[in-house]
Amino acid sequence: MARSFSPLRFFRIVPTQPALISWTFAVVVVVGAAAILREPSRSAGAMVPILLLQLFGASSGLEVPARRGHYDLLLTSGHRRTWMALVHWASSIAPGAASWLVLAAVEAAMDYHNVRLLSFGTIAAMGLVSTLPWAITVRLPRFSGGIGWLLALAISTSVLSFDVAANPSIDGLAEWLWSAWGFLVYPAGLVGRELSLHQGLIAAPGLAIAAGAMVAACRWVSRASLPLEAAQ
Amino acid sequence: MTPFAVSVRDLAVQYGRRLVFQGVSFDIGTGQSLGVLGPNGSGKTTLLRTLAGCILPSAGDIRIAGLTPRDALLRTGVAYFAGDATLPGSVRASRWGSLGNGDIVTADRRPIRALSRGTRQLLGLRTVLGRQPLGLIVLDEPWEALDPDAARWLSAMLETKRDRGAALVLSSHRLHDLAGFCDAYLFLLPHSARLVHAHDISPASPVTAAQLAEVFDKLRGGVMALRAVS
Repeated sequence: MARSFSPLRFFRIVPTQPALISWTFAVVVVVGAAAILREPSRSAGAMVPILLLQLFGASSGLEVPARRGHYDLLLTSGHRRTWMALVHWASSIAPGAASWLVLAAVEAAMDYHNVRLLSFGTIAAMGLVSTLPWAITVRLPRFSGGIGWLLALAISTSVLSFDVAANPSIDGLAEWLWSAWGFLVYPAGLVGRELSLHQGLIAAPGLAIAAGAMVAACRWVSRASLPLEAAQ
Repeated sequence: MTPFAVSVRDLAVQYGRRLVFQGVSFDIGTGQSLGVLGPNGSGKTTLLRTLAGCILPSAGDIRIAGLTPRDALLRTGVAYFAGDATLPGSVRASRWGSLGNGDIVTADRRPIRALSRGTRQLLGLRTVLGRQPLGLIVLDEPWEALDPDAARWLSAMLETKRDRGAALVLSSHRLHDLAGFCDAYLFLLPHSARLVHAHDISPASPVTAAQLAEVFDKLRGGVMALRAVS
């Protein structure tokens, strides 16, 4: 076998997203940390730009660079493709995940007993924006998932008020479906909320869709034909 | 008898409804080399990419050391390089070079896109050929853009790898690149392929570019004649 490097090392050398995204995360973290230090109760607000950026950071796109041949060295390195896909995903979401954890640490330093950025709602929102955009964008150009999400949000605002996303309800099937849709298009609505298991049903459909999309994306990567763009 | 490193039978690849090639069959033993020749658009790059496991064939069978290309990647060393255009331009040359066997391929810290075309080609080749051990080496137009020194280095490196038992598959649209270097030549023509062994072209001496051109013209004439009849 000729495995001279790991996928982890490969994607450290060949980043899955432009450096501009990482720098923007750094700026947002500094501003967010300053806001939390000044007023710890506003931590949820500091998290919203992180979620928005993560939508674009996770929308890294795999097929387009692979068809340009940029990943040939990795594809022929003797590692399983599913593993490559998972490492590609991990390296795409790493800056956003690190930014979130830094803000959570700052919040914990201010008020150890009430860390809203580690609440179930925040974890669900972060989980959604870190998976679904990556899975959707695997076969599309970079940022497609983020742009698609912005479109879905813009379209949804014509039929869905922000109250539904900000004050989700599960009192009946219709309310539950609206709230689940609200979480899907505006996950920031759940940031900072400690949801009961029952209330967690609001996030369940969105997270199930994200998990299904991740499985489908990894399966596609493991089986895909990747001809060079120029060879077709 | 030389054990076959690569065995291909009735291979066909299709992009959507467009047939790139079909009926491609050949065997390469360990320590042997195959030259793939053909005009632009005949499917050379697609064939090499299929051998490297990046493309799934539409029909036919490929065995590398008895395994499918994907399994061969996991169990034997396969080196594949499709040219300088496939290197990611924003990555620093020195960092890309470190993906070979870990040795320093170049100390140049400029982004790959800032290098000359020949330097990029050499960087890509040195990185993939630095990996050890290699049972199959698949290179698409490897001499393209190289200066005479680099071209000599590449030829010597490939001969060393072949002497150590690696099978080589090399493509070119320039006949003189492969003349005298390969044990067999696969001529890819639109919708047909023909394998010709070097000793059938020139039994006593190394094959020359002129001899390859003669064979190529004959085969192409045959295809043209068949088309005219049909």
